[in-house]
Amino acid sequence: MNIVRSVGGKLAGLVLTLFLASLLVFFSRFLVPGDPLSFLLRGRKPSPEAIAAVTEQYGLNLSPWEQYLKWIGGIFTGDFGRSMQYRQSVSEVLLDRLPVTLGLVIIAGLLITVFGLAAGILAAVKRGTWVDKTVVVTLTAFGAIPSFVAAVGFIALFAVQLGWFPSFGSGEGFWDTVRHLILPSAALALVYVVLIGKVTRSAMVEQLGREHVEVATSRGLSPAAVVRRHVLRNAVGPILTVSGMLVAGLLVSSSIIESAFGLSGLGSLLVQSVDRLDFPVVQAIVLLVVAVFVAVNAVVDLLQPLVDPRTVAGAGAR
Amino acid sequence: MTAPVISNVPEPSSVEPTAHRPAPRVRWRTPRWMRGTVLVWIAAVVLVAAVLAAVFAPWLAPNDPDRIDLMNQYASPSAAHWFGTDSLGRDLLSRMMHGARTALLGPLLVVIGSTILGMLLGLLAAWRGGWVDAVLARLFDLLFAFPALLLAILAVALFGKGLVAPVIAMAIAYAPIVARLTRQLVLAEKQRAYVSAYRVQGFGGGWIALNRVLPNVTPVVGAQSTLNFGYVLAELAGLSFLGLGVQAPQSDWGSMINEAQVGLLSGHYLPAIIPAVAVVLVVVAVNILGEEFAERIGGNKA
Amino acid sequence: MSLLEISQLTLDLPGGKRLLHGIDLSVEPGRTVGLVGESGSGKSLTARTALGLFPERAVLGGSVRVDGVEVLGLAGPALRALRRRDVAMVFQDPRAGINPVRTLGDHLTEALRLGEGVSGEAARKRAMELMEAVRLPRPEKHFHQYPHELSGGQLQRIMIAGALMGNPRLLVCDEPTTALDVTTQAEIVRLLATLRDERGMGMLFITHDLGLAGALCDDVVVLAGGRVQERGDMAAVLAAPAAEYTRRLVAATPSLHLDDAPVVSLPDAGRLAGAGGRHEAGPATGGAAAGEAPDGAASAEATAGTRAGDDAVVPAEPAVPSAPAAGATAGTGAGDDAVVPLLRVDGVSRTYAVRGKDPVTAVADASFAIPRGAALGVVGESGSGKSTLARMVVGLETPDRGTITVAGKDRTGTPRGREERLAHARSVQMVFQDPYLSLDPRIPVHRAVRDAAALHAEGRDPAKVATELLDRVGLTVEQQAARPRTLSGGQRQRVAMARALAVQPELLVMDEATSALDVSVQAQVLELVTQLRAERGLTVLFISHDLGVVRRVCDETLVLRRGEIVEAGPTAALLDHPAHEYTRLLLDSVPRPDAGWRLAG
Repeated sequence: MNIVRSVGGKLAGLVLTLFLASLLVFFSRFLVPGDPLSFLLRGRKPSPEAIAAVTEQYGLNLSPWEQYLKWIGGIFTGDFGRSMQYRQSVSEVLLDRLPVTLGLVIIAGLLITVFGLAAGILAAVKRGTWVDKTVVVTLTAFGAIPSFVAAVGFIALFAVQLGWFPSFGSGEGFWDTVRHLILPSAALALVYVVLIGKVTRSAMVEQLGREHVEVATSRGLSPAAVVRRHVLRNAVGPILTVSGMLVAGLLVSSSIIESAFGLSGLGSLLVQSVDRLDFPVVQAIVLLVVAVFVAVNAVVDLLQPLVDPRTVAGAGAR
Repeated sequence: MTAPVISNVPEPSSVEPTAHRPAPRVRWRTPRWMRGTVLVWIAAVVLVAAVLAAVFAPWLAPNDPDRIDLMNQYASPSAAHWFGTDSLGRDLLSRMMHGARTALLGPLLVVIGSTILGMLLGLLAAWRGGWVDAVLARLFDLLFAFPALLLAILAVALFGKGLVAPVIAMAIAYAPIVARLTRQLVLAEKQRAYVSAYRVQGFGGGWIALNRVLPNVTPVVGAQSTLNFGYVLAELAGLSFLGLGVQAPQSDWGSMINEAQVGLLSGHYLPAIIPAVAVVLVVVAVNILGEEFAERIGGNKA
Repeated sequence: MSLLEISQLTLDLPGGKRLLHGIDLSVEPGRTVGLVGESGSGKSLTARTALGLFPERAVLGGSVRVDGVEVLGLAGPALRALRRRDVAMVFQDPRAGINPVRTLGDHLTEALRLGEGVSGEAARKRAMELMEAVRLPRPEKHFHQYPHELSGGQLQRIMIAGALMGNPRLLVCDEPTTALDVTTQAEIVRLLATLRDERGMGMLFITHDLGLAGALCDDVVVLAGGRVQERGDMAAVLAAPAAEYTRRLVAATPSLHLDDAPVVSLPDAGRLAGAGGRHEAGPATGGAAAGEAPDGAASAEATAGTRAGDDAVVPAEPAVPSAPAAGATAGTGAGDDAVVPLLRVDGVSRTYAVRGKDPVTAVADASFAIPRGAALGVVGESGSGKSTLARMVVGLETPDRGTITVAGKDRTGTPRGREERLAHARSVQMVFQDPYLSLDPRIPVHRAVRDAAALHAEGRDPAKVATELLDRVGLTVEQQAARPRTLSGGQRQRVAMARALAVQPELLVMDEATSALDVSVQAQVLELVTQLRAERGLTVLFISHDLGVVRRVCDETLVLRRGEIVEAGPTAALLDHPAHEYTRLLLDSVPRPDAGWRLAG
């Protein structure tokens, strides 16, 4: 890919990826053999009016490309169509569910940043010692715990056995909500703490082996200054890149956590909509996840030159 | 669930072109103490046990996994039911053994499918370069935006519940991870003079790619794919946990945990803990073996 | 009291492996001590102890004193103060040694600011002074630049300036010019000598290059296998090395001088001519090879050697490159159309598109020819286009313009189709630069050679061919069965040569084939090349950055600069009486302990 990696190029890439993703999400429906109307109305006994409404909404009597244009045009005006299971528009349903997921992801993000970085830095600085070994073993062990297992385990231990946190629901008011979200966030964060911890450690250990670190040491800098200015600073790039890649997984994992903890967020909505054959909602959530992922990674890409000046050089004259 | 994405981001250490010269071994290396030895053997034993249980479940299982016995709900472990029974009085051990079949077969198919597909695409991208590489790179970028679990959920939404659609979807979702690694390795190999040397000797490009370069990258790609197995297992189990995968009455570790959730609140932990422990054990075992495998291969590269 | 006094220094790795076996060494103020040895000799390890730098968990014994203060066991603030004020080090590769994500100003000033509590402004002023002292063109600008914006030579100046920030009395230099081009190396070494004299610093100079040590150092310590082999006055050791190891090292060091270049004059020149090196000057006519070179008879009539006095190897038709001014036709030789040279390169150009920048011309309108059986050296610094030239000759790249013929057949560009590929392969083979990358790691050595032979079998038994060739280049049976990773660099290059010869090429291209090897190994490989040429009448295109190496192997040499041939002619003549200023600059840049290079303090 010889596109000059300038801002313009990146934005063009972003738009292109989003466009292709929307194609994939939309036309995936056409992979299903048979009549689109019966696919969309699976499991329901629709009235003639409902059939007419769905036909009109999806433009089923139009050509596929016209259907796509109608759909994507609607999305630009905030119209994701109508939910099959609720008597609401999809966007209303999504907005209802958004806050819980947002809170979950924000708290998990904080946990991941703090604990992941701390574990990684600690292990790297103390590399080869028992501290490093302990951290690595702990991370490896936790890394093997899928989030649904973590969710079940946390409920059994902290909610049922110890009774420290509620096991179910999302609570009322700010602090109660936070209290309800702590356990789910921790279960969601667990795997990602491990991933960020490992990446931080290996990026830092890699830098520690570099000659510029030895040069800095030979100039009489204190170990703390060497780690801060030459090891951690240089490891930020890879850590940032990996973090960006993890966003999509985090969002999807929230569907498992929300289902396990009975939270009514976007994730549990996705699962529920698949279960209840509400394809418009599924389509909207998938597209949303992809859009967030693409946007976050575009931001990471744009931040990269600030972290590593060499990436600017690649942009050249353009 | 466990994010697959980690394996598509090259470990920072592999981003830099590695010097192939045997450097004086004074620098600190990856910890040796974690590999070899007892741990690997335990992992191997766990995995072999799981595989045997899965393969011979119909003959080994002491009970019919689906036989409901409402007189015997939440029975404690006993001679008749080694692991006890679940909320419907079904024998947990038998359900575990039968559940192992789907739990292991799904990931195996995904790993094999994604490895074959990914290696071919990666080799094609790296060897042909130019617009082929550009188009494939764009395709991989696109697929990265769809985490495996999301693609699997979408597949279920389209084709209905079960294992087939999610397995195919996940094989596609994992393929670009393998492909990127293959591409990166093949590009590195391409830079090495031995490839030019083959060309100068008069060997054809296709022959070099398939007979010389591909075998040289296969061990590393294979080892990395092994590491994907754990992630896939966790994700497919997660799908069952959500009720979107294997359907009742067939048993699956993920759906067993899902069914056991109700009992959890009334203090019946065993039906949830046993499949949960099994999932974690198998994932750990596969990861230990995969890392051992990867490490040995890494050490063999001269 | 000595500035640096190392006595009975030992170093053991945690595994128990001893790397240094009781090193003694001292540096007096204002003096320069050369620490010479090949890779793995322990020279870097030894020098680094002066700054209290050693591998983690290594166990040290003996004593290292700087100005009477014991460094071993020094820790914390005291050690850091020593590194900031007393001893500083210039590292080998500035590209790796300066943090790529921080500004150069930050690199220069951080130790002063953070360690000594000097204000940012004062540290900046000091950095400006030192950037002037190391003769960097624009200190103000460089202060805010990042490493990737500067050239290697400029970066090494930054590295030196950084080392001098704390006004050290001892400067340790670890191969500070190895990563640089010859001409840049000369500038940096001269700069170091000047700075040392101005500041009266003591210097410990690590190098693998005896010539360089001879130019710069007062005293020398020769190290091998973690032991001191020889020590003494630099000039005395060079003139009369006492230890066996030093003698070998001195003998192996390539030199520009005719009298101490032992290999070049082929004793079997006559045999060479008979074996297939046709159209040489002198009486050799006819013979088996005449059929291959259709105009062999005519060639015999070519005027006798341009370099009377040298052996007959040198072709009467000098491999005259048509220097741009001379016109393209000169490549054929002085109007002697009858002679068909083995390799003929005619007006070849190659330009690379670089994204975001102007296209780079790697080779511009190059024309030259090599007679059958001759060896032509191509000399140039990195970026001169010499490797591109080699890759075009062997068909790995296609020239934008111009033609390449081997033995009268067109071999321009990458071959298409099986027939063309095989034909091209039989015309030209190549030995690549890096022995660690040029063999397939998975394929045992014997099989690699056998595969090549099998592809071009022509009735031969490939296994037998492989065995013969590998025997010839000196590999034992066990080594032949082994995979490349168990072999040393020198052995690998021998395998690469055997593999190339298995194809039975008419022309062998060697692209920096010995530059990754230690001097003594390099000497052996060069000797092998010379022997094989004599035995098989091989025609060789020898590409190198090292004039001394070319001097050993090649009859004719041409000098490339930025893709253009600036000078060409018989090697000896060219080295003794360079006509072009760039050739002179290259020659002057080769360190040697004589006039113009007398930099010892």
